[in-house]
Amino acid sequence: MILSIEQLSISSKEKKIIDNVSLSIREGEWYALVGQSGSGKSLLSQAIGRMLSPNLQVEGKILFKDEDLLSLSPKRMRSFRGQKLSYVFQDYQGSFTPFRTIAQHFEEYQKAHGIPDTKDQQINSMEALDSVGLDEALYNRYPFQLSGGQLQRVSIAMALLLSPDLLIADEITTALDSVSGHRILELLAKRQKETGCTILFITHDWRHVRRYGTRLAVMKEGKIVESGGKHRILDHPQHEYTKQLIQAAPRIGHDLPSGLKEVENV
Amino acid sequence: MKGLSVGIGLPKVKKHSWQGLMAVICVIFVFVVAVYAFFYLRHDPTLTNLDHRLQDMSLQHPLGTDQLGRDVLTRLLLGGQQTIGYSLLALIVALIIGIPFGLISGYKRGLVDRIFMRIADGFLAFPDTIVAIVLSGLLGPGIGNLVLAIVMVKWVNYARLVRSTVLSESQKDYVLIARINGLPSSEIMRKHLFPHIMGHVFVLASLDLGKIILLISAFSYIGLGAQPPVPEWGAMLNDSRPYFQSRPELMIYPGLAIMVVVLLTNMLGDYLRDHYDVKKEVQQ
Repeated sequence: MILSIEQLSISSKEKKIIDNVSLSIREGEWYALVGQSGSGKSLLSQAIGRMLSPNLQVEGKILFKDEDLLSLSPKRMRSFRGQKLSYVFQDYQGSFTPFRTIAQHFEEYQKAHGIPDTKDQQINSMEALDSVGLDEALYNRYPFQLSGGQLQRVSIAMALLLSPDLLIADEITTALDSVSGHRILELLAKRQKETGCTILFITHDWRHVRRYGTRLAVMKEGKIVESGGKHRILDHPQHEYTKQLIQAAPRIGHDLPSGLKEVENV
Repeated sequence: MKGLSVGIGLPKVKKHSWQGLMAVICVIFVFVVAVYAFFYLRHDPTLTNLDHRLQDMSLQHPLGTDQLGRDVLTRLLLGGQQTIGYSLLALIVALIIGIPFGLISGYKRGLVDRIFMRIADGFLAFPDTIVAIVLSGLLGPGIGNLVLAIVMVKWVNYARLVRSTVLSESQKDYVLIARINGLPSSEIMRKHLFPHIMGHVFVLASLDLGKIILLISAFSYIGLGAQPPVPEWGAMLNDSRPYFQSRPELMIYPGLAIMVVVLLTNMLGDYLRDHYDVKKEVQQ
């Protein structure tokens, strides 16, 4: 287990937003967290990096390689961030500081993690850009000069730059058109094969879960209602809510929900 | 080059307006004149010569002399230096205190924010006039104490402005990404948030400059600011008050100077506000 969340609750002053959630993610898998908007997926993912705003109360344990992230010192936590776990967000435009170039983003990121030499930084960044199929000419551009798909590629390149153990992808294709989204996911799957990193994939799109996921959990109103292997849940959902969600998803052809072929004339 | 608009991080709305351009040119002109005064100095601004008192315009004294025989133009130029210089000083010190205060408060949030903001509220509770009068009562009248009083009142505005901008900005993904990438807080504040707030601060500061100039002149007029024989516009107004009937121009020159400079800074502020459309940005 690379990450296990044990009985995690997040509450604001008024109410509990995440209620007693437990899940565990195995090394190297593509774990999908599914649920509709407002179910607390993003909040849960931000809790892993201790990125929540200070007025939220967090209880429970988040074990990352047997270390409880919630009890780490801020300094140690900072060394985890970016190096062992990294994020890619939905809003690619908003993920970059508008008045800093891609190069500056890459360089300060590496500087913060003990790569002070500019030459090394550049070589690493170029390699990273290359690995996501981007031209090196983009390196000195400002974020607004890039297209959405390019920016999301840069986000992925940056997130994987220091080979983190866990990548949290928070609805990374939602703001992209379906072709770019597809390319981004193919790229992510390819990069996962190459680097062997674990991916926590947050989505509300069943097609992506079916295609890439290995295991998944379904969230509703701050609780995990069902979790397990992809085929088990997609083809034999136990919970009423999961059934509804799967039925609501658009689907072409007569395949089973998980994408397996139905055996006819048996 | 997109340099400026990118650097300040606010969208440019109006390209140019004649008024704005004029304001910029005039403000620069006033600053140049104030600096030029250093080299002008054909007369000692504080040397009294009762033989030449209350003279008319002449080549020797382009704006005449005052009740103590001092050259009015020299005093006006040096007075401008005093008034504008100390206003800028007060503004800059207020910025130096207010901006980091607001940045830390808005970025750290939680307990730090609450403590910081209660401190700010405490300062905000006193009107500037009261603070200035109390300070000169305690420490004695003088332009230094006046600047201190203005700083004490003004820095809070900047702290609050910066805090509110940072509060909304630091919720955005790029700050989250910077944090999750493990960048140190100081770096995030300095390089990712600071340029964002500069546009807003710039606008408020240019509008405030006029108010501060008025405050310094007003307090010098009632004797709490610059002390004689130092030339200062407000003090010059006060000095020439007894001669208003016979020599109105002695009051008109400094009065006009104050009015023009304050109007110019206001124009500049309006121009900057439209230019960077701060309101729209805040609404978003």
